[in-house]
Amino acid sequence: MQAEQQQYSFEVVKWFAYMAVVYLVIGTGIGVWIASELAWPVLNFDNPYISFGRLRPLHTNAVIFAFGGSTLMATAYYIVQRTSGVRLWSDKLAWFTFWGWNLVILSAVITLPLGLTQSKEYAELEWPIDILIAVVWLAYSFNFIMTLSIRKVSHIYVANWFFLAMMIMVTYLHVVNSLAIPVELFKSYSIFSGVQDAMIQWWWGHNAVGFFLTAGFLGIMYYFVPKQANRPVYSYRLSVIHFWALTFGYVWLGAHHLQYTALPDWTGSLGAAISLAMIIPSWGGAINGMFTLSGAWDKLRTDYILRFMIVSLAFYAMSTFEGPIMAAKTVNALSHYTDWTIGHVHAGALGWVAMVSIGAIYHMVERLWGTRIWSVKLVNLHFWMATIGTAVYITAMWVSGIMQGLMWRAYDDYGNLAYTFVESVAEMHPYYAMRAAGGLIFWLGGCIMLFNITVTIRKAMANSAAKSAALANSTI
Amino acid sequence: MTKLQEYFHTDWSALTGADWFGLILTVVVFILMVVVYFWVLNPKNKESLEAHRNMLLDENEIESEK
Repeated sequence: MQAEQQQYSFEVVKWFAYMAVVYLVIGTGIGVWIASELAWPVLNFDNPYISFGRLRPLHTNAVIFAFGGSTLMATAYYIVQRTSGVRLWSDKLAWFTFWGWNLVILSAVITLPLGLTQSKEYAELEWPIDILIAVVWLAYSFNFIMTLSIRKVSHIYVANWFFLAMMIMVTYLHVVNSLAIPVELFKSYSIFSGVQDAMIQWWWGHNAVGFFLTAGFLGIMYYFVPKQANRPVYSYRLSVIHFWALTFGYVWLGAHHLQYTALPDWTGSLGAAISLAMIIPSWGGAINGMFTLSGAWDKLRTDYILRFMIVSLAFYAMSTFEGPIMAAKTVNALSHYTDWTIGHVHAGALGWVAMVSIGAIYHMVERLWGTRIWSVKLVNLHFWMATIGTAVYITAMWVSGIMQGLMWRAYDDYGNLAYTFVESVAEMHPYYAMRAAGGLIFWLGGCIMLFNITVTIRKAMANSAAKSAALANSTI
Repeated sequence: MTKLQEYFHTDWSALTGADWFGLILTVVVFILMVVVYFWVLNPKNKESLEAHRNMLLDENEIESEK
């Protein structure tokens, strides 16, 4: 274990992995709070700094970029070293990405509650922070690519391909979508306007899902599922096809966010058609991950970390089926602008992204600190809380969303709307309360994980210190 | 002109340089993707590709290669 620690640059991986868990708790905690604000508006306290409008982007930035980003950086640095058989190309650059990324997160925590925003969804941060993101992201990508270039094995394992696709596409998407004319230190205007602005925004928005939250996490899946199951991936050929189909297809989907808008009709149809086609590679990938357990399904009875990973694949399959269905114009006419979209996003975010990350982090903690998880019972409890919390959340949003859609389109015999908007809001209350409860269950599970991992690490460090002291005493 | 022909009608003369660049790039990438599919699914290449399945389980051997 010690030899492995010296052979690889794991210190930065440890810090990214631990901070990912901290940000999971903070990000989902803010989510629970704003879900409660929607159910019980009195919780806004007439205070602009904690109002839903300002905390919502803080929640999305915290879970996507703080938790998701830290997880991606921890796992990419871990996987590229282990599959290349070399240390990171530059430790200093790796530490620069750690501190730089955390500075981005700190900047978001300060600026978003102050209302400093570009008003672009999932790209709210103002232009100086956008530049910092680009610099840190390029440093991360460059270090990863250079580590691959000095690898000791000829083949580049497929997980690394997914990380590479994410790095290249996120650079491109972030730079183009963030192009703006600064007028003050924290005020800028996008160079795009009107329908072009909307198209660029959703080209970014959907590919933040496609490359940041899917390609990178598929890289995690292709490494950690076979490792945790101790079995080879079901089909390597399927993984290659999955990679190229996903990389080619995802960039077309953004237009499905803009059905029935000023965007040309054919663009939305194209987005919907390719969305439906994307079911094939997405399910191919999910099946590839699940079938890795062929002949060893019994492992799921005892291996709770593996359970997180396999359930995440079930959610991945479910949400990549649901998404294309919602992209089809007929369904979109009902689902768009309703809570169904929120339910869909959280099936992917909680069920797929968070669950596969949690499984990967538990796996890494055991290996990085050379120990077993302090309490397997708590991992099991966390698994059930995460699964039940997600199920409660998305069920509430499905019911609420479909109800909203039906109420908004209902007419009376004279062609008047059957319900006012306020009536639809009032009907949502029980489901908003249910959503807050689901989120709370998921968040409590995250708190248990943070506690369990903290104790595991502290005990591992204490054991390591005791061993070193004993070794020193024996040599005196 | 049928409704379908009308729907797919394209005014080629209106395409700008950027439009042509995007169109050609997309078609070329699509063709390359199809070529990759044929290569990956060709039974002759099955063995060499599937050999990488075990790469993760052979990580200790990767380490010993150094």
